[in-house]
This record gives sequence, C-alpha cells and structure tokens, in this order.
Amino acid sequence: MCGIAGFTLPAGTPPEERLARFGPRLRRMTASLHHRGPDEQRGLVLDGAAFGHTRLSILDLSGGSQPMRDPATGLTVVFNGEIFNYLELRERLAAQGYPFRTRSDTEVILASFLARGIDCVQDFVGQFAFALFDPRDGLLWMARDRTGIHPLYYALTAEGLCFASEAKAIFASGWLQPRLDPAGLKQTVHLWSPLAPRTSFEGVQQLPAAHVARFDGARLQSRRYWDIDLSPENVDADLRLGEAVDRLGAALGDAVRLRLRADVPVAAYLSGGLDSSLICALAQEQLGGTLGTFSVSFAQARYDEGEYQHEVAAALRTAHRSVRIEDREIGALLPAVVRHAEQVLLRSAPAPFLQLSRLVRSAGIKVVLTGEGSDEIFWGYDLYKETAVRRFWARQPGSPHRPRLFQRLYPYLQLSRQSPEMLRQFFGLGLEEPDAFDFSHRIRWTNSGRVSRFFSADFAERTRDCDPAAAVRDSLPPRVLSWPALPRAQYLEMQTLLSGYLLSAQGDRMMMANSVEGRFPFLDHRVMELAARMPPGLKLRVLDEKHVLKRFAAARVPARVLQRPKIPYRAPIAEALTGPDAPAWAKELLDRAAVDAVGVFDGARVGKLVEKLAARRAEPSEADNMAVIAAATTQLLSRELTGPPADPPRAHLDAVQLHAEAR
Amino acid sequence: MDTRQKLRTYISETFFVDAYSDQESFLKSGIIDSTGMMELVAFLESDFGVKVEDHELVPANLDSIDNLVAFLERRTAARPAAAG
Repeated sequence: MCGIAGFTLPAGTPPEERLARFGPRLRRMTASLHHRGPDEQRGLVLDGAAFGHTRLSILDLSGGSQPMRDPATGLTVVFNGEIFNYLELRERLAAQGYPFRTRSDTEVILASFLARGIDCVQDFVGQFAFALFDPRDGLLWMARDRTGIHPLYYALTAEGLCFASEAKAIFASGWLQPRLDPAGLKQTVHLWSPLAPRTSFEGVQQLPAAHVARFDGARLQSRRYWDIDLSPENVDADLRLGEAVDRLGAALGDAVRLRLRADVPVAAYLSGGLDSSLICALAQEQLGGTLGTFSVSFAQARYDEGEYQHEVAAALRTAHRSVRIEDREIGALLPAVVRHAEQVLLRSAPAPFLQLSRLVRSAGIKVVLTGEGSDEIFWGYDLYKETAVRRFWARQPGSPHRPRLFQRLYPYLQLSRQSPEMLRQFFGLGLEEPDAFDFSHRIRWTNSGRVSRFFSADFAERTRDCDPAAAVRDSLPPRVLSWPALPRAQYLEMQTLLSGYLLSAQGDRMMMANSVEGRFPFLDHRVMELAARMPPGLKLRVLDEKHVLKRFAAARVPARVLQRPKIPYRAPIAEALTGPDAPAWAKELLDRAAVDAVGVFDGARVGKLVEKLAARRAEPSEADNMAVIAAATTQLLSRELTGPPADPPRAHLDAVQLHAEAR
Repeated sequence: MDTRQKLRTYISETFFVDAYSDQESFLKSGIIDSTGMMELVAFLESDFGVKVEDHELVPANLDSIDNLVAFLERRTAARPAAAG
C-alpha cells in the first residue's frame, strides 16, 4: 500500500514559518503520488523533516493514518508496504510495555525501532519501504525490503535529503531539474534496468534492496542488512526430496497465510503457469473457496495462455475474470507505462500488467497475490538450463554432441531448425571463460546490448567508459565470485532483472498505477532461505526445472499445467509500434528529428528500423524488437518525465491535509 | 551490384552494423542473433532464389560474408544441373 515522500529541513524554525516555507513543496510531492494512495493524503512538517503519505487503506482502515508519530519520543514514520508478521511482533512489543494505540503494522515499525533501532528490519517478514525521523538525534533513516518489492528513491538537495516512492515526486519538489542519466540508460539497454543505486535520472538514486540508510544532515550512509547465502557450504546436502517437499509446503503455506492478512479482500493473479497456479491453489485452500483470480490474455495466439488460465480457474473453482489485449492497445498503453515505470524498456510486457491492475481495481480489489520469485529461487528460467548446458559443454568444448542439448531448450525460438553447429556459434559465446563472473548472463547481456548500435554517435561517445557488466561485477560481494555458476546466476538474476525490472517496471509500478498492491509469497525470505539450502539437484534435476516445486504442486494444480512447456511471458512489440496501426505518439516520437532532438538514439537509424519493421517482410528478430522499444520508450521517458514538471491536478493538491508539529 | 556487395548492403541495413570484416562470424561477434539468422535465410531465398534446406543451415554456409558468397556460388553453379 501507499506512497511516501519527504525531505529534511533546517531545525529550529517555528511551526508556522515551516509550514509556509516547506508546505507547498511537500504538498506537490505528496499529490504527485496520489495514484499510490487514493484513500487519504497527509503531510506533516516537523522540526527537521517533512513527511508526506498517500494511503491505500488495507490494514486497520480507521486507525492506520500516516505519517504516524510516537507521542512519547516524537519518532515519526512514513511507510509503504506490509509487515506481515505484525500481529506476532505487536504481541511481543506490547508485552514489553509499548502502549499501542492502533491495530496497524505501521505502529509496529515505530515500536520495533524504539526497541532495537534500525536493526528491527531483521524481525520483519514483509515488503516495505519506509523513512523514520527521530527528533531525539535529528537522524533520518530509510529502509527497503529484502528483494526491492517497494521502491525508494532519494536525492541530495541544497537543504539536505529528499526521498519518495517514485522519482516524479522528487522532481515535484522542485529541487532537481529532471535529466536522463546517460550511464543509467546504457545500463538499461544491457541489463534491462539501471543498476541500483543508479536510476534513469541524473542526481536521483535508489536505495538498493535489503539496505538501510542513515542521514545525519550532511552524509548518507547505507548498508546491506540481509543477503541470500547461496554458497555450497550453506546447502543441506543430506536433504532428500520428500523432506524438501514437506518443508517447502510448510514454508510456502505460511507465506501465503501471512499474505492473506488484510482488512479488505485479497485476490490473485493467474498466468496459467505453475507458480501462480500453485499460489492460487494454496490461497483457495486457505480461504475456503472465496478466491477471486485475474488474468490477461492476448488476441495474438502465440502469446496467449488463456486456455491454461481457464483450466486452472475451473479446477480451483475461483471467481475468475480476464481481460483480453490487442496489439494496438499495447501501443496505446505505453506512454502511461513509461510514466509510471520511469525507465526504458526492452519488452512491452509491462503494458498488459497495467491493463490487468485496471481490471482488478475496477472489480473493487486492492490486493493481489502473485507468483514472481519462484523462477529465480527454484531455477525455473531457461537461463539456468542454458548455463548448466554451457558448463557441461565447456568441460569438453570439442564435443559434437553436447551442444545438441540446446535444441531441448527454447523450443519456441525455432532453434530446432538450426543445426548443432549453428547453435554452437551462438551459445558458445564466452565458453572459453567458464569461470567468468557473468558466464551465465553474457549471452543475454550481449543480445540486449545490441541496442546500443542505435545510439547516436554523440551519446555513444559520452557513455564510452561506462561498462554495464563491469558495474555489476564491482557491485558483487566478493564471496559471490567464488560460488558455482548456477548460484551465481541466481544472485545476478535477483540483483538485476528481479529487483530492477520484474518487481518494479513490471511489478509495483504497473500495480500501483491503478492503486493495487501485489504480494509475493515466493519472496518471503524464509522461503528464499529454504530454497538456498536445498541441494542444486532438487531445483534443476538434469534439465527438469523447479523439480521440488513441481513435486509439491503435483496434487494441487492440474497435471497439464505441470507438464506444459515453459513459455516466457511475452507481448508483441514491433506489431504494436510500427505499421499502419502504430499509435500517433510513436509516429511522432520516432520521427528522425524527434529522435535526434532527444539525442540518445540516432534518428536516421531508428527511422530505417521502423521502416523495416513496418514492412513486415519477416518475423521481427529479438534484436529489432528490443531496439525499437528501447528507442520508443527512451523518447517517452524524455517527454513524460524530463520536461518542466507539470503540477499535479488541483484536486490532488487540495486533497493533501498538511499539519505542522510544534517540535 | 555483385553478390558480395549485395550481401554487405543487406547485412548493414538489416542488422544495423557498419564495421565488420568479410571473415567475421555473424553469431560470435553478435552481428546477428539466432532469430536474425532466420531473417537472413528468408532473404537468401527471396533475393537469390535459392531454397535453403535444413541441413544447409550451418555456419560453414551462412556465418560470414565469405561463407555466404561461397555458398551462393556453389548453389548457383549447381542450379542448371539440378534443373536439368
């Protein structure tokens, strides 16, 4: 739930003057996050900091208003997210003497911080981004959940520090001129997102997942408070499949149970794949038959999973609703997608998610369970299989047989038409360096990095020294470099794609755009830690991915879902952005002069690409799809976010209730 | 335009690359991705009138300008015989 915003300000100013000087700024910032919290918008100007909050009421509907203060100390919090184990923590803290006034999880953060300082995040089973201001020492604290489900941006300003759930709120403060960050853009076309703390914007940073930060008025210090341990020493080698299935069932069941806690109905996304089907099955079991499920289906058959969605919904007897999406709607949705995602995209897949959250919201639902995270922690992605095969092959690079295994991967890529020799050229990239830190990701990053061919000469020159892969390597804790290839692949996957793209551009942002909160049982840290302790063979058993999860799911989801080939979730790109049905904005923004004016891409090259794709002579290649959407969304990002910030609507500004506290 | 030049023009305009040698592997150097290979094959079939069989989809035939030129020469030379 919710959006947060705030900043530090000079201490010692009287309340009326504070309100007059800083109130309008706080009002604009808070109002710009209206979509994240349409139920209530409040701002509080303290002596030393100002906090704003937009609320999506989910827990303690009457008592959970924010910003929330501890009356005794003045400790104040703004919080976006959920502490799912708040009832257990509340009981413990109340027994220790904290005088709770509400039934909210927000107050549990205040009490926990007062009991043990910022290390209280260790106790939280949850997803969160929050800021605390402690008037006793004048420190401002920030914290973000373990995988980065909820966003938290910040910028250093002339007056101190400014933070918010989205970059647009930071721009609304007026402290910062919005400008695209060249290195952030270059990282995005290689890695699919900027690498935290970097963002798409100059001067704006994001707190990385699993970090806390402390600002003392001059300096910001951040540190990691949690990490996943995927080292071989942490693996419980004696764990047998049966026992692993039992433990997984207990952990995942509890993760779902905690995530059904809400004072409003909780529904679920259903993609038709294993992960969401299993989550739906567990939720339906616990809810006793009242689960509502939501899906998106595609008019273009090659992307559509509608058949599986209906089968699962029927088998689980959920109240199912779905929305069907046409190619041209994707084009029409992209400006809003980019305005919310605040980054360049290499895929159009977030667009259907925007449509899906709209459907959820129109059905009166504010909270959905969703299956992200499973493919990372149980090694479901083809990337893991590809890495395993490449490792196997690298041990005997001359073998004519080993590369044939690639034909068993990627059945949807028409690879079966291609000879082993051809596959060898393609999948052999980096084979001579099996211990390189990016062995698992080099092919993907090279493929997406092709987009940089379309950069303008000037932009290419300006970013010449920026090496996205090196930036990833430098961000890794040293111990990760000594892990085997598959655990290292998981770590890279969680640091880049999961946190930077799936949970943000395709996750939080697409849900919160329509005021819907997603909850992720697979990303419960107890589930992630359990998976980390499982022997590799229980996750990827030869080439059978998510082996232990499938065993657990066998009695719970329809057999056809377990047996179906894994198809990556995709949506049309070239069809949606080029040709006679292309949206007007695409024609306008992909025009040569318009592209050159932004200066990131080369107008002439992009023009040729658009012509080529519009002619529809061949099935668009991956490289061309990525290039055209990267160019289009760069143009959108520039138009939607770097112009002079438009004031939030009058009604949203007026809705913010502002107060100043005496101390 | 001779075959080599025609191929170079096609590769440059289709895959948006300027500087590459006639010997360079398209796949290894990242000029063409695996889905792009099918695009190249469609071009050979439409613009050179050769039907590329599955067993011919090998790097020795397709994975550089030199290989493509040699492949097309072999196929063109063989055509009258095949037609006869």
